[in-house]
Amino acid sequence: MNAHAHPHTPVPDPGNSTLGYYEIMETAVRELLVAKRVIGADEIRRMLEVMDSRTPALGAKVVARAWVDPEFRARLLEKGRAAVGEFGIDLFENTELIVLQNTDKVHNLIVCTLCSCYPREVLGLPPDWYKLKPYRARAVKEPRAVLAEFGTVIPDDVEVRVSDSTSMVRYLVLPQRPPNTENFGEEQLASLVTRDAMIGVVKANTPEAKERTR
Amino acid sequence: MTQTENLLRQLPTELGGLDAGPVERVEHEYLPWEKRCHALANVLDIRKIVNTEEKRRGIESLGGEIVGKLTYYERWIIAFANILFQKQILTPDELARKMEEVSSRSSGDTVRCD
Repeated sequence: MNAHAHPHTPVPDPGNSTLGYYEIMETAVRELLVAKRVIGADEIRRMLEVMDSRTPALGAKVVARAWVDPEFRARLLEKGRAAVGEFGIDLFENTELIVLQNTDKVHNLIVCTLCSCYPREVLGLPPDWYKLKPYRARAVKEPRAVLAEFGTVIPDDVEVRVSDSTSMVRYLVLPQRPPNTENFGEEQLASLVTRDAMIGVVKANTPEAKERTR
Repeated sequence: MTQTENLLRQLPTELGGLDAGPVERVEHEYLPWEKRCHALANVLDIRKIVNTEEKRRGIESLGGEIVGKLTYYERWIIAFANILFQKQILTPDELARKMEEVSSRSSGDTVRCD
């Protein structure tokens, strides 16, 4: 068997098919695995439902709670996996979740230089740029330049820390609570927390900035 | 350093610290088959058939040219097929036959939705 190339198939003529070659392969693999009872008939559909339920709104809820509840924040920073469990968020097997707190002195950024490890259970699927070469290659070498490309300028006296994810250890950035939000409730606060703020490439929105983007 | 030594320094997927152009904030809506491919990965992992490390090695073993030219989930499905052959869960022949069937089923005007 040739382990390097695709299987030696009589390649279907894409001109006749409404599906692309790789979509045909995905469908064929899935149907064969179901037919051989390697996976259940309904398993992929149910997994798709689970995946659809995971969005950055979950992470934003966790962040907003951490902003208003110091005890929860302490638990979150101590044991991320257990703390997000309080929201019914269940991480795969023994995967660790380490929550990185931004402060006046430290700005955190997450990346996966090897592939595309990402805290999917709290943020959903990653954006393309997170999986592409420029971000993965440069985030660990020149994070300030990368951040500037996202419009985020970090003062020189603030340390930038980059955390490189693995299959077993995922990270989530806890952004700083924006100014002028003293009277905000959790839900209002959560609406200021974007996916990109929890990756660390931008800060959480200020109420003023959010108003402008409406 | 000779040219071949240079090739050994990093695997094709090991990008940390390399030079690269500016980050373009590209995003696309995941296509249905891409999401199904991701769901398949999760299910194979939960069922202890293919774990994340095997998947990553499977993609690395595709070699630099394929890794460079295929899109993210195109690489995944090829890697899964190869891993499932290696584990003797599928054979190349049956996948080829099934792909023919899927392809002919989707041809022309009579697309069957099931």
